[in-house]
Amino acid sequence: MSPAGLVSALSQISPARRRQGLTGLVLIAALLFPVLHANDADIDSMANAAAYATLALGLNIVVGFAGLLDLGYAAFFAIGAYTYGILSSYQLMPPWGAFWEPLQTLGLVARMPGESGGADVVHFTLSFWLALPFSAAVAALFGVVFGAPTLRLKGDYLAIVTLGFGEIVPIVVRNCSGLTGGAAGLNGVAPPRIDGFSFGVSATPYYYVAIAMVALLIFVSGRLRDSRIGRAWMAIREDEIAAAAMGINRTQFKLLAFSIGAAFGGMTGVFYVAKLQTATPEMFGFPVSVMILVMIVFGGIGSVWGVVLGAFILQLLQSWWLQDMTQWLHAAGRLVGNAWLQRIDLVPSIELIFGIILVAMMLFRRQGLIPAVRPQAALSMDQQQAAVRRGGFSGLTLAGIGGLSHHAMALEIRGITVRFGGLTALNEVSLVVPQGSVVAVIGPNGSGKSTLFNTITGLVAADGGSVIFHDEDITRLPPHAILARGIARTFQNLRLFPNLTVMENALIGQHARLRTGVFAAIFRPRWSRVEEVTARSRAMQIFAIFGNRLTPRVGQMVAGLSYANRRRIEIARALASQPTLLLLDEPTAGMNPAETLELAEQVKSLNQLGLTVLLIEHKLDVVTTLADTVYVLDHGEVIAQGSPADVRKDEAVLVAYLGRNAQAAVAGMAGA
Amino acid sequence: MTTFDLLLQQTINGLSLGAMYALLALGFTLVYGILELINFSHFNVFMVGSFVGLWTLQSFGLSGQDVILTGLPLAGVLLVAFAVTMLATGALGVAIERLCLRPLRDVKGPAAMITTIGVSYILFNVILLSVGADQKNYPNPLPTVRFQLAGAVLDLRVILIWIVALALMAGLWLFVQRSRLGKAMRATAQDPEAARMMGVDVDRVIVIAFFAGSALAGAGGLIFGLYYNYTSFLIGFTTGLRAFTAAVLGGIGSVPGAMAGGVIIGMIEAMSGQFIATAWTDVIIFSILVLVLVFRPTGLFGRLAPVKS
Amino acid sequence: MMSRRAAITVTVCIAVAAALGAVGPGQAIAADQVVKVGIDASLTGADAESAARIKNGALLAFDEANAKGEIPGYRIEAVTYDDGTATAGQYDPAQAATNARKMVSDPAMVAAVGPQMSGAGKAMAPILSQGDLAIITPASTNPDLTDPRFAAQYRPGGKPIYFRTVTTDNFQGPNLANYWADSLHVKSVYVLDDGGAFGVGLADAFQKRAEQKGIKVLGRDRLDPKAPDYATILTKIKPLNPDALYYGGVMQGGIKLAKQGHDILPKAIKGGGDGIVGPEMLTAAGFPAAEGWYATIASPHLTEDVKLADWMKEYKAKFGFAPDDYAVTAYDAALVIIDAIKRVAATGKPVTRDAVRDAIQDASVPTLQGEVSFDANGDLKDRTVSVFRIKRDPNFPSDDMVHQYMYIGVAPAS
Repeated sequence: MSPAGLVSALSQISPARRRQGLTGLVLIAALLFPVLHANDADIDSMANAAAYATLALGLNIVVGFAGLLDLGYAAFFAIGAYTYGILSSYQLMPPWGAFWEPLQTLGLVARMPGESGGADVVHFTLSFWLALPFSAAVAALFGVVFGAPTLRLKGDYLAIVTLGFGEIVPIVVRNCSGLTGGAAGLNGVAPPRIDGFSFGVSATPYYYVAIAMVALLIFVSGRLRDSRIGRAWMAIREDEIAAAAMGINRTQFKLLAFSIGAAFGGMTGVFYVAKLQTATPEMFGFPVSVMILVMIVFGGIGSVWGVVLGAFILQLLQSWWLQDMTQWLHAAGRLVGNAWLQRIDLVPSIELIFGIILVAMMLFRRQGLIPAVRPQAALSMDQQQAAVRRGGFSGLTLAGIGGLSHHAMALEIRGITVRFGGLTALNEVSLVVPQGSVVAVIGPNGSGKSTLFNTITGLVAADGGSVIFHDEDITRLPPHAILARGIARTFQNLRLFPNLTVMENALIGQHARLRTGVFAAIFRPRWSRVEEVTARSRAMQIFAIFGNRLTPRVGQMVAGLSYANRRRIEIARALASQPTLLLLDEPTAGMNPAETLELAEQVKSLNQLGLTVLLIEHKLDVVTTLADTVYVLDHGEVIAQGSPADVRKDEAVLVAYLGRNAQAAVAGMAGA
Repeated sequence: MTTFDLLLQQTINGLSLGAMYALLALGFTLVYGILELINFSHFNVFMVGSFVGLWTLQSFGLSGQDVILTGLPLAGVLLVAFAVTMLATGALGVAIERLCLRPLRDVKGPAAMITTIGVSYILFNVILLSVGADQKNYPNPLPTVRFQLAGAVLDLRVILIWIVALALMAGLWLFVQRSRLGKAMRATAQDPEAARMMGVDVDRVIVIAFFAGSALAGAGGLIFGLYYNYTSFLIGFTTGLRAFTAAVLGGIGSVPGAMAGGVIIGMIEAMSGQFIATAWTDVIIFSILVLVLVFRPTGLFGRLAPVKS
Repeated sequence: MMSRRAAITVTVCIAVAAALGAVGPGQAIAADQVVKVGIDASLTGADAESAARIKNGALLAFDEANAKGEIPGYRIEAVTYDDGTATAGQYDPAQAATNARKMVSDPAMVAAVGPQMSGAGKAMAPILSQGDLAIITPASTNPDLTDPRFAAQYRPGGKPIYFRTVTTDNFQGPNLANYWADSLHVKSVYVLDDGGAFGVGLADAFQKRAEQKGIKVLGRDRLDPKAPDYATILTKIKPLNPDALYYGGVMQGGIKLAKQGHDILPKAIKGGGDGIVGPEMLTAAGFPAAEGWYATIASPHLTEDVKLADWMKEYKAKFGFAPDDYAVTAYDAALVIIDAIKRVAATGKPVTRDAVRDAIQDASVPTLQGEVSFDANGDLKDRTVSVFRIKRDPNFPSDDMVHQYMYIGVAPAS
């Protein structure tokens, strides 16, 4: 076949198939490597590199997916390592007792004569294969312990706390020498055994175990990333407040990220120590945490294959290539007779190289070698130039949005007071939203309207009063619980997830209504796959409300869309959560009159389907068209309420908007 | 030695440690107050400063602790050493800001902080690879004078540290509170947008903050060398972490907070070494760091809440 | 999943890696048959300077042997390995293990000199044992490595492969305790360690023996060799009024302890192990701080030996700096290996690792430090611990190790 023919044949294979093919090639290369290159030391370097790749994958979940900068990740590496080390070496030898007998039958301990012929003692013999999940679990537990204090901290401060823990663990290990062997290290850690065959010191069996671990963790990372779990993490990373408002339990998911990342680290610790057959505190210090960070920054934060590549390149650079390069420089020096070249040693400069990589990547290529790309479907020319078509509500039942309720009152706000330091933002505000109605809240800037929304949805704590939703007091509930009960909102300044696609934003809106958890994400049972397909079709139904504006763009990154379209996505995302009460914060801000009219009609249609709406608006014609009742806020107090017509003529309202002198002018105008 | 004497001596030890930490914490907090950036490279700027001081003193022909000066020559040598060191490290800080941090000023997330980790590594390794891993004996022209305070010993060097540290801190305090530039800095710290609209050259303010903070770090490095009579490429790391905890404890962004934090951490180090064991001091200090950040992130005096989106 | 470009990058990288490994630096072609001997030391990090002295000591022996044609028909090629990494700042057990694998997987390698640090030895020993490669250490003193109780851990292959031309910390610390108790009549001591593998072991052994000799141990604490300020711990020790202060640890902490200890505990007798033997103690700590410190090394003292003066001149001329006692033991270790290879070659049998190991076990070789032979565990039969005291000799430069470390004698054995 001619080269041109080959190329055209290859380009006919779908991108998905091509990716699969390349993955297969990489796998075959990895499996054949020890056969083709039978140098034990180099296989050992590759095995070490694979171990660092699993560490990088673990840190990638914490930093890349969930956006939590962890500077003390090596602590989990240490915990996993020492857990296995202590339970498979001669470090701990408590005296024998009846308590240990059942464990002996299970093969977890052995009975040994004591030192110098003393009483029998226990020798721990936890098998490597059991230790992998066990240490992962222990490390995951510590992930929760170390992650818990960081939950309310942002960005840099979270990093510092994790750095603190990362420093504390090796020091504790060094000081508690009775348990861990202290500075002298743990020795005599048992190597893995299969059916009596001990791995010994040849690097090849370790290499294959490491490759298997990397493959497994790549698989798990990918599955998690493309599931409800991954979306929740990315939502937290992009905008924590919006994530909470869309029903994501931030505490649960942050701790989940920490614990899964820690589990990866713990597993790697078991492997590393089993291969080395020794463990010392120096192996787990701050420079190791930084090295793993450099690996993921270099490879591409958030990209699964990227961090694996970054880990391999940097680890092989350190343990293999720099030494070879030094030898070449020496040989070159001998060739040209240059003394400096003959003496130079590149190996100690690896840390300098790490520093330069960090700075260079951050300045010039923040996305890393292999960026974490989200697949972007381009619009065809026809689609781009298509005339705008309005949508409709056919096919959209209330069940798709929210259930009917039998309560007379959807929402009751009783005497809510909110203070920020010395400023009283809301003062004894009360209002009611009857089921099935549209209520508008208007008022001058700074009157407390958005604060009211924030209080209802749990983003701001009230200092007094209560919020009753469907006869339930929801005042003290966290935002994600309020969403789960059926209140969804949009934000005045738009809080979309900019680096996610339109579809993903809408799917995150459904987070509280989906059930896929960690195990379902990894194993994809049938019900989970069905749930995902149903969720997508529900999102498409909602997009159809807006005609052909959003539907062709579902695969696009939100950041690239027009302002009006982003407003629509925000509403679609809120609708996706199947609310019974929708809070809209200035939904038509920034829209031209035609778009405003269209949106107002869409809101009216939604209301006619049974959705209760609470609306903040400035455009009085929208208020007049939509609202059944209007409340006017000024300086945190309700100064008027009633039908739109009544409120328009209310004196207090006029004063608030136009000022005292204007009152007379309006009185003059009223006659006109 | 009675218990009182022992406590007094440990207090003196703690206060000398504290002065060093306060000086470092101060420079660090200056930058954070304006940029809300945790600048990891600050502590290796301190280390570089100690080497600049070393080379300056060596250029006077001083070496070891054998050559002692007094009076005018001593004052002259010290003045020159401080001036050169502070100018050099100030310039280094400005270079770091210009080259590595300004391009990232509008980037959200941890990119800037990660960059400072990288810069820190670069400084650390450049010094290591060029001067070697061994400790260098520091030229010290100060006479060894000791005073008896009850049963405790007070070294002239301790008094020197305190005088210089207090003078620098007072100078900084006056500058920030009284001068126009200081007012501009405080304005930028509170609201960079508003400050810009009021005509403040925010870029210049940031450069000056970096210069001042790094110059303080350099002064701290020189003082370190004169006090301990040695320097090495490692000194930024341990002292830095303690100074950082001091800044956080005192309230990141607060000048009196940095001073108070420094003294407290120094005293904790001395007292925990005395009553518990030196082996656990690091764990205690890191635990304090974690506890402060979790339960009272504003620290003792801080007014800026650590909220960064 | 990754993009196509990314997958190609990954495949190319793996291919390049394989190719690089296959194409290493070329080997010299010589008329004689080449046998390789490895030299492993911590050439990166805190111990780099003494590592260089050790490496050069061994190299000197191998160069001399090649030049003289010591082994007819054979040439020795010395291959240097660094077990220190920049990340660890000192020896790195993982790197040491990798080096051991490299040595074992090189079929031409028949023996090795090293390592310098006991922690590296612990990582290397099991691998070397399974590869049946003998190694002679000139400096690592931790006793566990040759202790038959830990044979299953350190020599799973069965036969001893870890030999020493120094003695162990079983004797270093304790013998100084003997000297202090017997000759200096020390009645009380405070013990410090630096938290490292070497220092803790040394201090433990010293403390145990001190207690046995009736010296009252007033307390035990740890200092961080990286921290600058030891005033707190020294102030804590001061009211206890110990006769002596023992420091088990490396130079980094020792220098600062000497300086600050001189100010705060001027009257106490101070001492440490071979960690504080080196020119840095003289240059960085200087006088008067270092004055009066006792130090031990786990070998006989030779660099003042008149018979060695020529050898020392030769070393200094070739490498530019003076050797220390561990450079001597490294040279001697190399001599033992050369002798073993020579004896095996003389029998006409092929020079294999196994044969060389056996020859080393049976060795009885005249060296700079006297006759070297090993016991059944691989330990040096000669258990000499030498004691020095730092005393300023104004006739010589202040960093002259030979003359500023005044040799006192052999420490009394237990």
